[in-house]
Amino acid sequence: MIFHTFIFAGLLLTTQASISDYISKSDIQKFVPSLESALESLNAEDLPNVYYAAKGFTLINEPLPKSTTDACKHLEKHFNNDLASEVLYQVLSAWSLMNCAKTLNKPLHTESTVKMLKAVLENLESNSADIRYAVHAMNVISQPLPNPAKIGQQLQTKLKEDDSLPSVGQALHAASLLGNAGTFAIQYVEDVVVQADEVDGRMLQWEGGLTVTSLLLTGLLTLPNSKPFTQVQADKFATYLLTRKTVQNAKGIVSLIEAAHALSASDVSPVSITFVESAQVTNLKPDLKIRISNMFGEPLKPAPAPVIAQSATRTTDDVVVLSKQPLNVGSTPTEFVLPLRLDPGQYRVGITAGAHSAALMVRVLGPVNIQWLEVGLGDTDGTSAPRLTKLQHPSTLTSPLQADSSHHLILRFSLSRPVQQPFLRLSSGKREIVFVAELDSSKAYKIDVNLATELSHSAHFEMELILGDSIMSNPLRWAFGNIEVLLSTAEQEQQPGHGPRPEIKHMFRPAEKRPPQVVSMLFTALAAMPLLLLLILWLQLGINFKNFSFAALPFHVGLGGIFALFTCFWLRLDMFATCAWLIPIGGFTFLAGHHILSKLAKQKK
Amino acid sequence: MSKTTAVISKFYKEYTSKTPKKLKIIDAYLFYIVLTGIVQFGYCLLVGTFPFNSFLSGFISCVSSFVLAVCLRLQVNPENKNQFHGISPERGFADFIFAHVILHLVIMNFIG
Repeated sequence: MIFHTFIFAGLLLTTQASISDYISKSDIQKFVPSLESALESLNAEDLPNVYYAAKGFTLINEPLPKSTTDACKHLEKHFNNDLASEVLYQVLSAWSLMNCAKTLNKPLHTESTVKMLKAVLENLESNSADIRYAVHAMNVISQPLPNPAKIGQQLQTKLKEDDSLPSVGQALHAASLLGNAGTFAIQYVEDVVVQADEVDGRMLQWEGGLTVTSLLLTGLLTLPNSKPFTQVQADKFATYLLTRKTVQNAKGIVSLIEAAHALSASDVSPVSITFVESAQVTNLKPDLKIRISNMFGEPLKPAPAPVIAQSATRTTDDVVVLSKQPLNVGSTPTEFVLPLRLDPGQYRVGITAGAHSAALMVRVLGPVNIQWLEVGLGDTDGTSAPRLTKLQHPSTLTSPLQADSSHHLILRFSLSRPVQQPFLRLSSGKREIVFVAELDSSKAYKIDVNLATELSHSAHFEMELILGDSIMSNPLRWAFGNIEVLLSTAEQEQQPGHGPRPEIKHMFRPAEKRPPQVVSMLFTALAAMPLLLLLILWLQLGINFKNFSFAALPFHVGLGGIFALFTCFWLRLDMFATCAWLIPIGGFTFLAGHHILSKLAKQKK
Repeated sequence: MSKTTAVISKFYKEYTSKTPKKLKIIDAYLFYIVLTGIVQFGYCLLVGTFPFNSFLSGFISCVSSFVLAVCLRLQVNPENKNQFHGISPERGFADFIFAHVILHLVIMNFIG
């Protein structure tokens, strides 16, 4: 087993890897609406968009929308010789891609356009991008380049000033059109490739995203006589490009497709090894279909040979179940078929196609059969043996089980092989309760439900067996019968979880029981009695009012007023009002009292 | 027993003859307050304390009135003159009235 693993690992080392995705026809169809909208929304600032749309349609081999006359007129209207050389190139290029010269029956450029482009090429201030687009524009309008050697010199000078990645990329593109004068660019190739960033060990890209990566990839690959990448590097660049295949703007689409075309046209064209439909096979359809294609899902040229499944290893125990089996050619040139008549499980399949290889994870699904199933009721105390009924798979119980709180529901069943998800589901209306079956010592599944503790109320439940597994081809839901459970506890009506709660009313402490009114009145009289006694005593002592004068009247009135105020306080007033009243009355009484008492004191002396 | 009766009768005779009339009036007032307090306390024992704050305020009213009256009696008594030098009976009565006004404001607040 270990020996086989080593063989496979060795194969992986000696062959080139592959990529696990490709740009499919449907991916390309998703680009069409973006390109169409770029061609329809015409405005003066958007001349490049017309170019990207026209270029995009050409690259994906789709016919241009029916009438390009509007776009051509738009280009003609906004074309002038003062545009930047990049826009100039794009307008001229779009003009040629859309065949505008035929539609409008005249060329766009004039003698002054050519002069203008030559001026850009001779201008010492022009940077590498200006030069590149001017060179390309000259190429588009089929004008010979004046003095390619001098342009090459100029490019080298500019690269010494600015050797950033975009600048080098533009220079590479220009150099590819300069013939022998462009050979200087070879010296930059290695340096540029080294600057690519590796992501997660599986992708390569240049800083600056899709645009810069595409510019450099196409530039490096169009350069004559250069072999910039190894196969591994090409695969990593391809992996990066495939992560960007959902790009939506016209410029991004053109960058992506241009780069992908450049890669697949090169001698290190990445090979995509993927599943045709899904990564799983069943016993009934044991054919695993594998697609081996280039980045665009097209057949490889030359066709890869030989295509061999080097090994298939079960992941659970690393047992090798298959080795060195050639794949059959399928219905299309990209399709290869590997019949996998294996036990259900997960397998790691190593495929080699010529010099390319891939390790694929495959699942082989198989059916699971219920060998027997028993259901019945047992006693909680276990005094008597449970009464179990045997069932065969599609059949159901003829009558519902009748159970009460003293019963256990017992379900036992045996499967042809263990599954990951064996469940018993009891459902009643919207409510359900699910139990998990466990394997017992005799390799049978068993569920024992204590009805009194597991269920909260009496109900009529439907019993359902649910079996599921990641490698099971016939997942199963089998409603095998009903059970009527009568519990002593009543079903509790569940309060809805929302809505206003009942209002909380404040409860005062209830008043204690009062004594009968007769008793209260008796004691009131008793409490008043001593007052009578006081008056009698005072009369006996010979109290008199002979010292009373009218001068004493204000004091007595004031004092009486204070006590009347206190009575009012007791009956209805609050403390603030009482104090407010007490101040004037008290002040008056104080003055009157002071007056009368000092008078009395003087009289005594 | 006869001794006790003799003491009491002697005490009563002395009291009636030697105590000034004003003090006798105050004593009658004190006796009245004591009786009222006893009636309230009896009610509390026999019927119950509910409402407790009303009982408390009535009883406290009796007790404090008694204390204030005793104070007045002490200040008015001619025998204590040297102890309360410079405090005339009128001044004592004015204090008594003032204390009562404050006391009953509190009592009324508490009675509920």
